[in-house]
Amino acid sequence: MACEKKYETLLHKYLDGEIDKEERMDLFLHMETCENCARHYKEMKKALMLVQSSSHIEAPVGFTEDVVNRLPEKKKRTSWKK
Amino acid sequence: MDAVVKRLIKEVKKAGDQDAFAELVDLYKDKVYQIAYRMTGNSYEAQDMAQEAFLRAYANLESYDENRKFSTWLFRITTNLCIDRLRKKKPDYSLDAEVKGTEGLTGYSQVAASEKLPEDQVVTLELQEWVQTEISFLPPKYRSAVVLRYIEDLSIGEISDILDLPENTVKTHIHRGREALRKRLGNA
Repeated sequence: MACEKKYETLLHKYLDGEIDKEERMDLFLHMETCENCARHYKEMKKALMLVQSSSHIEAPVGFTEDVVNRLPEKKKRTSWKK
Repeated sequence: MDAVVKRLIKEVKKAGDQDAFAELVDLYKDKVYQIAYRMTGNSYEAQDMAQEAFLRAYANLESYDENRKFSTWLFRITTNLCIDRLRKKKPDYSLDAEVKGTEGLTGYSQVAASEKLPEDQVVTLELQEWVQTEISFLPPKYRSAVVLRYIEDLSIGEISDILDLPENTVKTHIHRGREALRKRLGNA
């Protein structure tokens, strides 16, 4: 269990792109022998891949028109204050 | 910032120019809608939240600081609206997650239909529906951080500006959010 906490922290650093060379080596060498951490890494990669692969949604047709139709009444271009 | 965006904002600020605002909406509608959809988990509420975000942006444009990125300001309005909405319906948001997922199907089907073969499409839809359902199980504060990081592909710094949270807090929310997603999505 002591290993899990340390390597879990390293894994998050790795995923945040904040791991240094030494830590990276430490993490990946460890995963070659530790089944738990290797599985953890694999599951994480898979989950993130699934989340990232689902990122194609567009606003419905007519969205802009709907917004513009709900805007408060248009201000007059020529100011009456002057 | 993008010169076009800057010019459009100036025109809206100066004369309330609705045509210029329409151009701004066109530029950002997909991202704003996507955030709202991922946050609320259904297309009806997403449309409601995304429209409201633009209406508020229009009404409050005077308070937008032009030295900062427009998208950061706009996304902040969007996430705040969605988080408020989720908090108001907190007691039932996980209970109706399945229903939300089903509604999401319409949103996905419009997008996927154009390019994929029918049999691939079914798999993709089921998969995407499932992923969205699992995202909907995340508590709102983790959900917003994960959506901005992994779906909008923004940096920790930008997310920290949008959510008005320190970078370390954002990181913690992302860590917890992705651990939760790993447990739900990672071993299937």
